[in-house]
Amino acid sequence: MPREIELFGFFMPTLLPMFLLAFGLQWLLDSVLGRLGFYAHVWHPSLFRFSLFVCLFGAMGLFLY
Amino acid sequence: MNAKSLLRYVLTAAIFTIAALVAIALWRHYMYSPWTRDGRIRADVISVAPDVSGIVVDVPVLENQLVHKGDVLFHIDAERYRIALVQANAAVDARKADYDLKRREAARRATLSGVVVSSESQESSASSASAAAALYQEAQAARDTAALNLQRTEVLAPVDGYVTNLDVHPGDYATAGRALLAVIDSHSFRINGYFEETKLPRLHVGDAVSIHLMSGGPILRGHVESLARGITDRDNPSGPRLLADVNPTFNWVRLAQRVPVRIAFDQIPDGVVLASGMTCTVIVKPHD
Repeated sequence: MPREIELFGFFMPTLLPMFLLAFGLQWLLDSVLGRLGFYAHVWHPSLFRFSLFVCLFGAMGLFLY
Repeated sequence: MNAKSLLRYVLTAAIFTIAALVAIALWRHYMYSPWTRDGRIRADVISVAPDVSGIVVDVPVLENQLVHKGDVLFHIDAERYRIALVQANAAVDARKADYDLKRREAARRATLSGVVVSSESQESSASSASAAAALYQEAQAARDTAALNLQRTEVLAPVDGYVTNLDVHPGDYATAGRALLAVIDSHSFRINGYFEETKLPRLHVGDAVSIHLMSGGPILRGHVESLARGITDRDNPSGPRLLADVNPTFNWVRLAQRVPVRIAFDQIPDGVVLASGMTCTVIVKPHD
């Protein structure tokens, strides 16, 4: 996996599009979990959401590096 | 009800802990693992200058052409040097004739008794024979120089490599010692990886390296060959009157400087085109 991505001659870290991807994934997951009523079993939904996002992004980043 | 509310806490705490661990691991990998985007392909560049001056008569190579060691890069008009060699040969012959004459004369006088030839005359003929021998040797050396000059009118490739900066054409006047083209040694390709100094502790000589060229293509393999043991201290130029001129820096924000690390290719696959100066990403795999 390349550590940087070229866009019209600009090179940027792959982490950047990965961040956007993780964001989209998080949004998808969040709506599914919300529809299933999962957040009723969670003490602090915002903290849970944030942690979930960090996990997603961090796992993708670790896969990269 | 009690178990259910405990589950609520445990679930949240668990995912938060995992998130924290993942974040720390990512941070460590990103900050401390020895890799850099600032790698440059380097090669030895040999500036080829003629050893003798003269008019360039023929340039049999093309720009960017692959040449082998000993191939002719260009010819300098040899006529003048050929004439000089003839002249030097003639001088050798003349000196040799003179030396033969004086040698025989001295030998003859040495055998005669002191009544016929004075000892002074014997001595003087012996020493003039020695002087003639020395002049003869001098002429031989001059002839060797002339022959060398003639040979050096053919400028040869010093290494296997690629001709670049070819700025010499038939009719140009080539001055001895002034470089007219460069040859890039094709066996000398290597990488200078500019690593932040914070990443140096986890980098050792011999570590395996994978190399991603900015131009794409396959991942190349290499190993760390050596680390530079000095970079310029940019905060310490000496000012006028030899006083120190220390830059006032920020106390809080500092930038890691970069230290060049020399990386050798293990093997360059066919079809991968390298040019000195190309950019690459260098990832070192520490062998802990």
